[in-house]
Amino acid sequence: MKIDPIHQFNIEPLFTIGHIGNQTIAVTNSSLYMFLSVALISILMIGGVAGRQLVPGRFQSMAEISYEFVASTIRSTAGTEGMKFFPLIFSLFMFICVSNLVGIIPYTFTISSHIIVTAALALLVFFTVLIYGIYKNGLKFFRIFVPSGVPIYILPLVMFIEILSFLLRPVSHSVRLFANMLAGHIALKVFAGFVAMLGVSLGAIGWIGGVMPLALTVALTALELLVAFLQAYVFAILTCIYLNDAIHPGH
Amino acid sequence: MARGLRLSSELIAGVVVGAVIGWGFDRLLSTSPFGLIVFFLLGFVAGVVNVVRSAGVAPGSAER
Repeated sequence: MKIDPIHQFNIEPLFTIGHIGNQTIAVTNSSLYMFLSVALISILMIGGVAGRQLVPGRFQSMAEISYEFVASTIRSTAGTEGMKFFPLIFSLFMFICVSNLVGIIPYTFTISSHIIVTAALALLVFFTVLIYGIYKNGLKFFRIFVPSGVPIYILPLVMFIEILSFLLRPVSHSVRLFANMLAGHIALKVFAGFVAMLGVSLGAIGWIGGVMPLALTVALTALELLVAFLQAYVFAILTCIYLNDAIHPGH
Repeated sequence: MARGLRLSSELIAGVVVGAVIGWGFDRLLSTSPFGLIVFFLLGFVAGVVNVVRSAGVAPGSAER
């Protein structure tokens, strides 16, 4: 009995579309699950608002709760002006949340366990903040690098550290989501593998002893459910905080 | 675990990005190893600043 906890993150091409240079462009299992989560979100949102009842049903209240949740997050962190970015933040939150929740189901693929996906999302946010900040505030945007009340002789060093910590944002933003999903799914796989390993190697006693790692797997799945939602929320709230810098720089 | 990974990712990102910038600086200007040393330390400092900010101990530009 061999445990291979990394196998679940394999990218397998399903069919090839074409070639760019030597690089094959294929629809992989990763892009299949991306389409699946987008389809699920579309069904939830379009189906939810199709009825438009005054007293919402199950579907409609789910759609309304997700709208209200993201909207209140934006209003509390980036102010009312942040609602301009509602479509971006709502899409990011729903995409990450739904794809993470789909990823918990056994035998499915977790999109955000690949750093290239989370890095693309984080860079999207980073460049949105940078371009919108410069577009809206001009050169005043760079005031976020100059904290007020710092003595002049130490200012260059502080400015440099501030610029560096600004550049760090997309890295930590993407690594956080990626590392959480990767670590959680590996831990889940390893503990689930213990059940089979005990049973195969020790026979009947092993199968009875396997109850303990099985219980732990159940508990870890519940934890993963929480982490899946929490990481989507953290990603969305950090996006709001970063956008707040672009909307109101130099507070 | 979520909080721990959140804070550690901030610090690791700081050190790694500092080291990468320093390494690239050294390659371009052939000042090895001083660029790496300086940027590694600056990256560490920036990482610690981000950790302190995201832990909410001190108010930072990100969370004011």
